[in-house]
Amino acid sequence: MQGPGLALYLRKIAGTIAQVNREKAVEFVEFELKELENIFSLLILGGFVGLPSPPAPIAMELFPLMERELKIMLSRSDFAQDPLASLMGLLQVD
Amino acid sequence: MVSNAFFLGKGGVGKTTVSAAFALSLARKGKKVLIASLDPAHNLGDVLDAKLSDKPRRVEEGLDALEVDLGSWVDRYLKESKEELKSTYSYNLALNLDSFFDIMKYSPGTEEYAVLWAIEHIRCELAAGYDIVVFDTPPTALSLRFLAMPAISTRWVAELTKLRERILARRQTITRINPSSPVASSCTDKDSDAVYGKLGSIKGRLAGLQSLFSQESYVAVVVNQDILSISEARRIADELDRIDIPLRAICVNKRGLSDAPWTLDPRLKSSKSFEFDFLRGGLSSRDDLTALDNSGLVADFMAEASKGTA
Repeated sequence: MQGPGLALYLRKIAGTIAQVNREKAVEFVEFELKELENIFSLLILGGFVGLPSPPAPIAMELFPLMERELKIMLSRSDFAQDPLASLMGLLQVD
Repeated sequence: MVSNAFFLGKGGVGKTTVSAAFALSLARKGKKVLIASLDPAHNLGDVLDAKLSDKPRRVEEGLDALEVDLGSWVDRYLKESKEELKSTYSYNLALNLDSFFDIMKYSPGTEEYAVLWAIEHIRCELAAGYDIVVFDTPPTALSLRFLAMPAISTRWVAELTKLRERILARRQTITRINPSSPVASSCTDKDSDAVYGKLGSIKGRLAGLQSLFSQESYVAVVVNQDILSISEARRIADELDRIDIPLRAICVNKRGLSDAPWTLDPRLKSSKSFEFDFLRGGLSSRDDLTALDNSGLVADFMAEASKGTA
């Protein structure tokens, strides 16, 4: 492998390393974001499961616009029994 | 500027009679007046001697009246929400939305919001054609809940807005550092985020209603010369204080009906009070309302109304 081929190969490796680093850099922020979005959904829909929530008509106005948040809330409920496990996984604690 | 009047009080004290007489006096002084009954058990039409509906109807020169149909406001709102939900979650129609919305009718807060939507409709669509809008309210419990609703909801919306801002800030951070993150495909700024926009529009509507109640309205409590209605009036005054709505007047109605000794609660003495004699002949026609001498109340309202325009 010589000339342009090698340069392209090295550029790909550098690009992959940069992307991995970018993803590592935002990993914690993404975790926090998902938690915030989950809390937002729980606040809006909490009235339906006995949590304090805004008056139902306000929730109904926001409900149609919250598809992403609802999906996150449902996915978060999958590990609702063991929330620490995902945090430990993120922190790479074995 | 004060251009609305609300008459609150315990059931049976004569809110409808006092508010109808007040509206009639203003109309006969040359003002264009709309009187709206918010009470689900309407009897404004009986007092005004006219058949009313949820659209303004001319009662006499200068005076229109309507009886708000709260049920139809709830149905209209739920229908709009259902259509919006169906278009967003079309793949989830198997959820049987119809039965869900039937339950929503009885959800806490829905009736209070229906009153607010009706008031908002009157304010935005009808009030421009009148000088003054008079509201005959339901009994105390529902009235206090709908009057407090803008203040309570505003606090909720403020907290939700703060949380949404944090979410958008995190999304922006992630998108800036890692543009290929799935988060980058979601809304990252306030202008394009529909939820943030909706919170802003709810906040604006609530602020409009709060301003209507606290700055643009003359709120009066109707009492009788008895302990029960006076005690309830004191509780109304305390609650109005809590939600920053000034209590402008106490209307002591049916004076002379009872000989029992009574006194106005000291808590209520800070508001102006006006007394109206018990109509021994009863009410058999609209003109009988003129027997209620409310010149003091009308003059006080006009003085308050002129303050904003002076």
